[in-house]
Amino acid sequence: MKILALDTALSGCSVAILQDGRALAHRQRTMARGQAEALLPMVEAAMAEAGMAYAALDRLAVTVGPGSFTGLRIGLATARALALAAGKPLVGVTTLEAIAEGALAGHPTGKPVLVALDSRRGDLFVQLFDAGSRPLCPPQAVAPADLAALVRTGPLLLAGDAAETARDSLRAAGLAVEIADAPAQPDARLVAALGATRALPDGPVGPLYLRAPDVTLPKAAVLRVAP
Amino acid sequence: MEAFAGSAMVRAMIVLGIETSCDETAAAIVTADRRILANVVLSQLDEHRPYGGVVPEIAARAHLDHIDRLVAEAMAEAGLGFADLDGVAATGGPGLIGGIIVGVMTAKSIAAVHGKPFVAVNHLEGHALTARLTDDVAFPYLLLLVSGGHCQLLLVEGVGGYTLLGSTIDDAVGEAFDKTAKMLGLPYPGGPALERAAAGGDAARFALPRPMLGRPGCDFSFSGLKTAVRQKVEQMPRPLPEAALADLAAGFQTAVCESLAGRCRNALKQLSVSHPQVRTMVVAGGVAANQAIRTALTGLCADFDYRFVAPPMKLCTDNAAMIAWAGIEKLRLGETAPLTFAPRPRWPLDPDAVTTQVRATERV
Repeated sequence: MKILALDTALSGCSVAILQDGRALAHRQRTMARGQAEALLPMVEAAMAEAGMAYAALDRLAVTVGPGSFTGLRIGLATARALALAAGKPLVGVTTLEAIAEGALAGHPTGKPVLVALDSRRGDLFVQLFDAGSRPLCPPQAVAPADLAALVRTGPLLLAGDAAETARDSLRAAGLAVEIADAPAQPDARLVAALGATRALPDGPVGPLYLRAPDVTLPKAAVLRVAP
Repeated sequence: MEAFAGSAMVRAMIVLGIETSCDETAAAIVTADRRILANVVLSQLDEHRPYGGVVPEIAARAHLDHIDRLVAEAMAEAGLGFADLDGVAATGGPGLIGGIIVGVMTAKSIAAVHGKPFVAVNHLEGHALTARLTDDVAFPYLLLLVSGGHCQLLLVEGVGGYTLLGSTIDDAVGEAFDKTAKMLGLPYPGGPALERAAAGGDAARFALPRPMLGRPGCDFSFSGLKTAVRQKVEQMPRPLPEAALADLAAGFQTAVCESLAGRCRNALKQLSVSHPQVRTMVVAGGVAANQAIRTALTGLCADFDYRFVAPPMKLCTDNAAMIAWAGIEKLRLGETAPLTFAPRPRWPLDPDAVTTQVRATERV
């Protein structure tokens, strides 16, 4: 299977092309912003390096979040349009799954892994996986103080860009945790590897925001004119 | 398109346009011989209505949810494949950045897969050039661009050749309509609701100011008028009697028309000296859908023996046909954009102009 995978959901921009599990091309840059400028040239460079035509791909994969709203929309808008233009199917992979995969692949410790991402609003986007990378809970937004109640027991590994916040909170609750020696960003090669195994979705691949837009309903307009 | 295949005839350029800079998600396919092969627009009005205005994050989410499907619909409606296109154009700014990013990435991706040029179009340029698509208007012409985010008078001398003659020093005219409608308790979006309410009203009942009227120059101002309406509303019993609502709406609309026409009159006088070759005035933008404004401008143009051009309503409000058309105009000049193009929240049409205007959307 030939698969093109993208990730721009957190603080990076990553592209990979895998053929039957082997990486033919891989590009990875760290950037908090600027993915809208960098992504397509990176895709083009990776396709050229792999000697791959879009028509030769079997499918595409993209990280759907959770992460930066703008970042995950850059990746999803690109992946959905590439898939439409190439007439190929698209599968979604969460940032949490991709990071867990990276942490567990490098650490066959038998311990579960908690992936914790900075939501930029005080709470964390988290998900707990067993040592076989099977999810033990759904992706969710949780305050650091509530993490111990979610994971219940240690020991476990931590990964993601908010791993230190999670570690401090869980250690304060008396749990045995350590931060995995793994990238805090999704690796597009792992996104591709996970995406290659997924069943094709029935509908479009949508975003996983885990948070509603920050907006409050106004008071009724008629009340506004009353003195 | 089979008719052209194998023919020696040079077929007209075909461009896909994408518009996602505010609260309309749109895709269209237009040809260089001025045919609109498809023009699909999905309004997000229902999603923003509870908030009484456009919420940027809600808009960005909606654009992502729908743009690829709308592009596919437009292609199917035109009976074309992506390989048939000569270019892919998208609004590159100005506007709400979250939405612009979605449209730009969509266009870049389609262009990359099919090896087609990508064209980044200024949303305002899309409005500015629409009359050339609909009415084959030749350069130069005077353009009044009136929308929820903009109120500008521009001399259009060519693609990319825009001279700002005047702009609003406070609210955009569409913004003034929306805010006034809100004060009157009218539903969102306020502009069309206010126009309907004004239909049966007595415009002379309430004395309202005509901002900037009689002053030199072509700048606009609407916030004083809005405040005057608020003061009248505050003197009225609650709920607002139906007749008072209609009279206030009519008074406001008439004041806007007279103010707009007065500023345009100054521009026409100025051009009759500096650019006597200009014989056409074009109105564009969502507020150009207002019938009272069209009537006022028609009369003004008659006074100056100008041709008055107002594109059809659905091409005045935000749409992607205008983006595809501007893409064609730019492609003819070789003005493509690289795949590194950065979406632009701000992008003035006349970069040399000093303007105090702040876009309504940037304040949300």
